[in-house]
Amino acid sequence: MENADVFFGLHDFLDRMRQPSAADFVKSIKSFIVSFSNNAPDPERDSAMVQEFFANMEAAFRAHPLWARCSDEELESAGEGLEKYVMTKLFTRVFASLPDDVKVDEQLSEKMSLIQQFIRPENLDIKPTFQNETSWLLAQKELQKINMYKAPRDKLVCILNCCKVINNLLLNASIASNENPPGADEFLPVLIYVTLKANPPQLHSNLLYIQRYRRQSRLVGEAAYFFTNMLSTESFISNIDARSLSMEESEFEKNMESARALLSGLSTDLGGSNKSDPSIGNSLKAELLESRLQALNSGKERKSSFRSKSFETRSVSKDVHYVKDESSMAKVPSLSDIENRGALMLLKEDLPSIVFREYPYLFAHTGDLTISDVEDLLNNYKQLVFKYVCLSKGLGGALPPCHPSNSQVHRPHEAETAKERQDNGAVEPNDETEKHIAMTNSSSTISLAGEENFESKSPLDKAVEGKEETSH
Amino acid sequence: MGCSSSLPDRSSRRLSGLGNPESNGVPDAKNLRVKLVLLGDSGVGKSCIVLRFVRGQFDPTSKVTIGASFLSQTIALQDSTTVKFEIWDTAGQERYAALAPLYYRGAAVAVIVYDITSPESFNKAQYWVKELQKHGSPDIVLALVGNKADLHENREVPVQDGMDYAEKNGMFFIETSAKTADNINQLFEEIGKRLPRTPPS
Repeated sequence: MENADVFFGLHDFLDRMRQPSAADFVKSIKSFIVSFSNNAPDPERDSAMVQEFFANMEAAFRAHPLWARCSDEELESAGEGLEKYVMTKLFTRVFASLPDDVKVDEQLSEKMSLIQQFIRPENLDIKPTFQNETSWLLAQKELQKINMYKAPRDKLVCILNCCKVINNLLLNASIASNENPPGADEFLPVLIYVTLKANPPQLHSNLLYIQRYRRQSRLVGEAAYFFTNMLSTESFISNIDARSLSMEESEFEKNMESARALLSGLSTDLGGSNKSDPSIGNSLKAELLESRLQALNSGKERKSSFRSKSFETRSVSKDVHYVKDESSMAKVPSLSDIENRGALMLLKEDLPSIVFREYPYLFAHTGDLTISDVEDLLNNYKQLVFKYVCLSKGLGGALPPCHPSNSQVHRPHEAETAKERQDNGAVEPNDETEKHIAMTNSSSTISLAGEENFESKSPLDKAVEGKEETSH
Repeated sequence: MGCSSSLPDRSSRRLSGLGNPESNGVPDAKNLRVKLVLLGDSGVGKSCIVLRFVRGQFDPTSKVTIGASFLSQTIALQDSTTVKFEIWDTAGQERYAALAPLYYRGAAVAVIVYDITSPESFNKAQYWVKELQKHGSPDIVLALVGNKADLHENREVPVQDGMDYAEKNGMFFIETSAKTADNINQLFEEIGKRLPRTPPS
């Protein structure tokens, strides 16, 4: 498999760098990194410098005896190894280094967090045949991994994996329903929907970073096409308005307002939105107030929510911006606030069963189930857990047990460690569908292992660090 | 509709995505590699045309894997030139029209597709022609394609209208049927012949 080849290539690249005859390469690489880091950030120039350096080094590799009689693939791997090494070193210097980009990231993330509250597949022209929100979670998950990696290639792989999951789901749906095979008419709307729901961290900065620092000769063909789809997704989302979702202006504004209210957890807005039935608005306010008081009295819960704030900096969670948001900083609603509020809203529903359409097993009895339901149930379960954990983390609150008989109390940091373990594990406990459809995640695992090797053993590192020590 | 027989064969293609693009040989004057973008209303059969083209000349070494919205196919022309088409499909719904420039940037060919049973789709095709004339690269090869020619009993756009419009705008014109595969190969061969014979920069 291609990913395994690259893994091999990285080690191979490092092995070659340890050869005495590679001394000049080591020197060039380290001096490039040092000189680069001495300049003030300037994305255009930085990108051009890095691209030129990669091109020169790759040409030098090709001409060097170390790679004599090597195939194009092996040289390609060496180029990948170099790109990964250099960009891992330069990452903090070049990623989201301009305040303007950081601002765009925040605005985009805020917009996604609002629109994801009310967007429906129909708003983007996704035909019912192709709607599959449960399975789309798998695609969202791929996108949300993007900040786990520093190398441009690894970030790009997250995007390509997401696209691949979507395409396979579309293809399966088209076969099942005897529809024409899916093209861009079907693909792009789903990618936009999935991105909105995923709200991947620092989307704008990640795309700029890949565009600037992924070796240009390798960002071509299929990868370029799907990367372009991601760029157009970003563009579409940042320009979303009532018209682009086929909504009435007033409806769009109302939806945005209530999404804002929901996110900031402001009970004051609720009074307004419940004008038709003031008694419910009032009792809701009372409920919210009560539970907030409870939260204040519960030292444990406070502690956890503070602790989760300290995770912000390294968290890969998509929702950290909610916590950063000034308005919500003061009053992050607890999970029980939201739960109570939701329960009241449910009571108001005319036909509560419609709300539960997505959860077909809610009213099932054990006797109704067959073995073939297991896969479906497991999918449903995963979807619920994932949503729940995301919501909890996004709120920055403690996670109360979601199952009454579950004696184990999950806390955010435990959940996160568990998630990380799962994501980095050599064998992901994925279900069959994902194994079948996603590009193997082992590349990610492998990449991380490769990075560790870089950090601990690389002669380049020793050389660069040695130089840094003396120059200080 | 109907090109469902033209599903891409998933089993015989291996992962590429990031694969080294040059392994099939560096493009030169004899081996062209061109980016082709497909534009047109949703439902006119853009992706069906491509699938029919790619499937019809099935190439087991083709490494396309992620999905049918991007496909590539190499053809050999009579002058012993080979042309590798990298075909970029675009979403045809009105709300995505503003995104098209991201896709046709750098394209050597634009194939603009309409449905001969839908006058609206013919209007939309004319809109794309104008847009490309204004914002596409100046030497872009433009082709106008009236698809679903098999549905002649429902025809609402006369052949002559398509022909006249194409002639006025210096485009190549053809009517195709992705369903019966009529004129599909001819479309791509004709495009290949019209490509400027200089390697892409």
